[in-house]
This record gives sequence, structure tokens and C-alpha cells, in this order.
Amino acid sequence: MGNWYKSGSPWIWLTSGAVSVSLIAVLGLLSLIAWRGLTYFWPATIYQFELRLPNGVVEQVIGEIYEIDSIPAQRLRDNGTHVAADVEEVESLLVKTGNREFVELDFRWLLAPTIVTKQAHQDLAMLERDKNGNFYGYIEGLSVNNELQKGNSTSLKAPLLAAISRVNDLKDQAAELQSSAISSINYQLEKLRLKQRRFEIDNELTDAVLADLDAQRLALNNQYFVHEKALFTIRDKMVRDFVIVRDMRGEQVTLNLSSLLSLHLPNQMSWLEKVSHWFGAMASFVVDDPREANTEGGVFPAIFGTIFMVMLMAVIVTPFGVVAAIYLHEYAKKGAITKFVRIAVINLAGVPSVVYGVFGLGFFVYILGGSIDELFYPEASPSPVFGSPGVLWSALTLAILTLPVVIVSTEEGLSRIPMSLRQGSLALGATKSETLWKIIIPMASPAIMTGLILAVARAAGEVAPLMLVGVVKMAPSLPIDGNFPFIHVDRKFMHLGFHIYDVGFQSPNVEAARPLVFASSFLLVTVIVGLNMTAIGIRNYLREKYRSLEH
Amino acid sequence: MINIESLKLNEFEQEKPSIDLANLSDSETAFVIDDLNLFYGDKKALSNVSMRIPKGQVTAFIGPSGCGKSTLLRCLNRMNDLIDDCRIEGDILLEQQNIFDRKVDVATLRRKVGMVFQRPNPFPKSIYENVVYGLRLQGVKDRRRLDKAVEESLRGAALWEEVKDRLHDNALGLSGGQQQRLVIARAIAIEPEVLLLDEPTSALDPISTLVIEELITELKKKFTVVIVTHNMQQAARVSDNTAFMYMGELIEYSDTNTLFTTPAKKKTEDYITGRYG
Repeated sequence: MGNWYKSGSPWIWLTSGAVSVSLIAVLGLLSLIAWRGLTYFWPATIYQFELRLPNGVVEQVIGEIYEIDSIPAQRLRDNGTHVAADVEEVESLLVKTGNREFVELDFRWLLAPTIVTKQAHQDLAMLERDKNGNFYGYIEGLSVNNELQKGNSTSLKAPLLAAISRVNDLKDQAAELQSSAISSINYQLEKLRLKQRRFEIDNELTDAVLADLDAQRLALNNQYFVHEKALFTIRDKMVRDFVIVRDMRGEQVTLNLSSLLSLHLPNQMSWLEKVSHWFGAMASFVVDDPREANTEGGVFPAIFGTIFMVMLMAVIVTPFGVVAAIYLHEYAKKGAITKFVRIAVINLAGVPSVVYGVFGLGFFVYILGGSIDELFYPEASPSPVFGSPGVLWSALTLAILTLPVVIVSTEEGLSRIPMSLRQGSLALGATKSETLWKIIIPMASPAIMTGLILAVARAAGEVAPLMLVGVVKMAPSLPIDGNFPFIHVDRKFMHLGFHIYDVGFQSPNVEAARPLVFASSFLLVTVIVGLNMTAIGIRNYLREKYRSLEH
Repeated sequence: MINIESLKLNEFEQEKPSIDLANLSDSETAFVIDDLNLFYGDKKALSNVSMRIPKGQVTAFIGPSGCGKSTLLRCLNRMNDLIDDCRIEGDILLEQQNIFDRKVDVATLRRKVGMVFQRPNPFPKSIYENVVYGLRLQGVKDRRRLDKAVEESLRGAALWEEVKDRLHDNALGLSGGQQQRLVIARAIAIEPEVLLLDEPTSALDPISTLVIEELITELKKKFTVVIVTHNMQQAARVSDNTAFMYMGELIEYSDTNTLFTTPAKKKTEDYITGRYG
């Protein structure tokens, strides 16, 4: 035993054990998130349940099984539900019934003993809608161009899909019109208003100027009416068709096709169709805009906002951090003050992130943004331009938050470069700055990239400070669009991390939101891993290029 | 006493008429060192060093570790400027110009006085880029001129034949001896007047050392060479003049033959016969 201890084996076991535990924890977490997030997109079988409730009422329920749980029988007895005496646990099913406008909650717990029959009928259809969530039922009729066809889900599938795709095309047209032409006119009108206000403030609003502005406004308004008319025509075309569905209450419900997004008959799908549906659903989760208070639809604006903000932050933090590290390491005299500054920088990394948020709000948004507004945008007053939270201020706040990381790793990289290389360059008649640019910085670039990787990883996962300086639940437009100057860093933005918090904890529909939380988490992890892999790839390339001397 | 003739690699070392080091004319002198004192903080590293280093010859500094020979060498192209608490008194003249003068641009000085260090320190770039580094700093862009300089310098450093087919490979792939010759090529590419060698072979194997020593005798045809070495045989083999230093002082300075065969000072004799150091 003593020898075994002396041999160092326990130490090896201890260290390898610690590594294994961390690995298992990380992999376990990732696979949990991936599993829960990704299975959400798999088309679930739709069941029709016939229930016989304890009071003798017979009821039909149609829906997807979301979760299966066991409830202690005693708890049910305490609630006054009759349960057979010898039963200890009762199985309970959480069913997503959809049809939100007709039932109180679109989720319902069913106790297994009350279920009389459970069948997955071929004709059970799931209709995805842009309001009120999914609709489940049997399709019984379809009206296309005022011609009513009767039939069942299978026979009406083809014409219904065609009709839905027609409506979707119209929707795309309408959205296109709205997002490009109409939004551009609105943007220009707003610009005109600000221009006029500017003239007013400068006391240069002569009649000629006013007439000119009015003429421009009139022209824009006329254009607007043309587009509006086109939009209304499209909308009129959209509401032409409707579908008749029998729901679980046995009633026929008429659904206008303009509210439908897609039709699925999961009980008829082959395995291959399910796989392709799964990929399609994941793709639309990534590229679609959110709907219904973020509980439905995709998360594209959040992904876009996260990546845009992180990149903006990287662009800001890298030069600052590198310049600071170069000064500290190459130019500053090695004295007490330098030491103090270095310690202060390292300690900055330990400040809670929400403190940075408060600082960002106070300094960047109110002081800096407020001054910018006063100086450059007096016409916009009282509504702020830069004086309110926005993506630029978020990026700046996170840049300060991650600055220590970049400084520390850049300095480490600088100190790894052998003194002999600097001397070699200086001895050839290079000045200190030439040596820096030609030898030191290229050789330190892998370390700079390491700092950037750590900074990006930290920034992409940070939410608390962003809630103060720019993140919102729902941003009306992306920070980049087709209106000059194309990049709008004053806008508020959506963020995956905040999206997770918002959907998971602020949502009115917790059950519906839960899988979305996992899916968004998985996506956030994927985005961060993606950003990191890119940076690591660049770093490894640089490292290979500037392989340091082996001594 | 060492037999100087047996040490010399006689096929490449010819006898020169010995010159009077104390009374060199200005045209024969590369450096005039006048009453040089150097302090690291409070510690005095060089005291009252005065000497004249002749042009077109190889001058060696020898002495035990810590005697100040490297420090003296690094004064000649002001590499000691990089050390924060280093203070220098006295003058060093290069072409009648005091190199410590405010008007002197250090970068220009270092272009005239090239230096090769103890350990090979090629930049992590291609062989070609290493050689043209100094020229690029001077703003040379003409491709043909750079190509010519690369070939001439590498030939001058006896490396051309070995690397001519892989000029664009990373210099770090070369062996230690090749790297050191590359560094010499890099130094001579900018055509300095003086080449300072700071123990250039101490990190190399015997074969590479031999190649470098042969190279030094070639180099002195074009450049003034000042070499620091802790290897007395090497000093005897390659140098025309030798300075023996001890504890920051210049003990004896004369032509190599005289210093090794009939040293004037007791300390020199003790050192070269191996009694200390």
C-alpha cells in the first residue's frame, strides 16, 4: 500500500478521474440539450383518445403525447379522484391538444385508467397556424375558389397542399412588399420629417425648402398608396380559400387558409418522410421569425443578433486589448505602477457581469449616447437615437467585460517570444516599432486569437448585462437591412441567451415553451462552438505559420 | 603554454605583418574605444576600457565568464540600450563619430554594425524572407535586387549550395549550424562595415563550428570582424588580434600570436594556460 502510494498511481487516478468527471458532465449536458432540443422537431404521432371520466362522461381528445409521468395514487385520492385500492402509482400522459381558441389550455394531463381507447387514425391532421398554435382534427372539406369539395384528409391532401402553397406564395409577396418597398418608404418619410425638424431647429425652414420637402413627401405618399393597394389586393386573394376540419369535440370548424402555414399527416408519414420533415422543421426554426410571443416559429433574429453583436464586440475588443497588452509588455517600464495596472486589469475579469451592464447603461447609453444625440441628432428629440439601449452599446459593454481576457492572453503570447528574436531584428537596423509590426505581432497572433476565442465564448453566453444595454424580447427589425446606411448599430436586437430566458420563464405557455428552451439552448451552444471553431481554426493556421523557436 | 602554430588551421590562416595596435592611424581603425565605463544599476561591469579595433581584421575578446567581453561587444552597436538600468560613460568612435552622440540614429548605426548572437535566431519566416529582412526595412522592393542580395549573402555565408532549392521553406527547418550561417547571411545582406559575433559557435556541434570558423576568415576580407569567444583555441585559430578581459577590465590587448605565445601580463598567462577561467 505504501509503495503503491509512493509510485504516484493514486495521483494519476485522481487526476484522470477529475478529467473524466468533467468530460462526463459536459457531454451529458450537451447530449441532454441536444436530445430534448432536437426531438422536438420530430413529427409526433397524433392519437385520438376516448376517455371515460369518473363521472361517467365520455370524451374524445386528439393530440400529441408530450410527456409520460407517474403520479402517486395517494395524491390523486387526496384530490378526490377515484383510484383502485391496490394501485400505488398511476400513469399520466401530458397531451398537446392544440385548438387553443376552443379549449382553456392547449395541454392536458390524461390519467391512464380513464383512457378507454387510443388510436392513431390515418386521417388525423396537424395544421400549423400563424395564430393560436396548431390545430388537430380530421379534414372534411376544402373550398378553393368558391368551389367546395368534400372528402377526407387523404383525398384532400393534394389540393389542400396546393392551396396552402398558393397562400404561402402570396404571403411571401406581401412580406417582400412590406419589408422592402413599404418599409423603405416609411424610412424615407421619417428621414424627411427629421430633415424638416433639422431646418426648423437651424431656423432655415424657408417656404421654398418647405415646398420642396412637401413635394418629396407627396411623391413618397403616392408611391406608398400604390404599394398599399397592391398589398391589399394580395391580402384579398389570400383569404379566398378555406378548409373545414372536424375537431375533437366533433364540431366542424372553418379555418381560413390565410392563417395556415402547413399541413402534416404524421400518422401517414413513412420513416423517410419523417426524417425530411425533421430537417425541414429544424431549418425553419433557424431561418424563420418568431411568432406568438416567441413561443412558436423560429429564432432567426436572435441568432442574427447574437452573432452580429459578438462580431461587433470582437472588432472592438481586439485592437484595444492588443494595443493595451503591447504597451504594458513592450513599452511600459517594469515598475510598481505597471504591476498595479496589470493586477487591476486581471481583477476586472472578476467583476460581476451585471455591474458592467449598469456601467454600460450609465456611461455608454446615457452619457455617451445622450451626448451624441444632443450633438448630432437634435432633430430626433425627444425620441433618442443613440441615447437608448442598442447593439453598439451592448457590444461596447461586452468589449469592456472581455478586455482583460484579451490583454492577459496577448501579454502571455508576447512574453513567450524569445528575446533573441527581438534583438535579431533590432540588430538588423529595425526600429522598435518595425520589430513590433514585422516580428512580434505576427508571432503573437496565435495568442491574440486565443484571447479572442475566450472573449467570444464569454461574450456569446453573457445575458445579464445585455438586458440593461440593448436586448429586447422582440425586435421589429434586424441591425442590418436594405435602408441606407445598411448597418444600424443604434437598434435594439434579439439574443439567443435572452430568448432562452424569455421563452422559458416569461412565457404565458410554459409547456409549449419548454422544448423551445432546449432547442434554443442547443442552438446557442452550436453558435458558440461554431464561432470558437472558426477562431481555433485560424489560430492553428497562424500557429503553424509562426512556429516559435524550439528553445 | 599553448603552441599557437599547432592550433591554427594553417591552410586558411596566413601570417600578417603585425601592426601596432596602440598607434593605429584613423584610416586603419574601425572603432576607437576611449575610457569606457559601464554600470548595470550600481554594479560596474566595464571599467576604463580603452582600445582601438583595426579595420579589416578579426579581433577576438576572450576571458572568463562574466568578465564583460559580451557587454563590451554589445556596446559597439548599442544593444545595451535595451537594458533599462544600464549606464555608460566614455566614448566609442566609429569613423570619428561618437556612437553615443544624440545625433546618431541607433537604427543607422546598427545597419553599419551588424551582429550575430550566441544562439541562432532566424525569424519564423522563409529562408528568403530572413535574408531580405534588413533590405526590406530599408525599403528595397526591386525583386531582382533582392534575389541578387539573397544569392550573394547566402554564398558569402557558405550556405547557398545547401539551400538554393528551398529558399521559400521555413528557416526553422534548418539545422543549428545552417541557422547560424543563415543569421550571418542575414547580417551581411545589408552590407555592414563591421560584424560583431557574440560566441557564434557556442551552441553548435564541432563540424558546424569548423564551418563557421572557416567562414570568419572569409568574412574578414570584406568586413571588420569582432568576435567574443570563451574558446581560446578558437580565438587563436581565427583572430588577428586578441583582447583578454578580466573582471570588467582590459588586461592585455595585442596581436594574437604575441598574446598566446609571450603574454605580457601574469593574469593573461594564467588564463591561457588554464589556471583559472
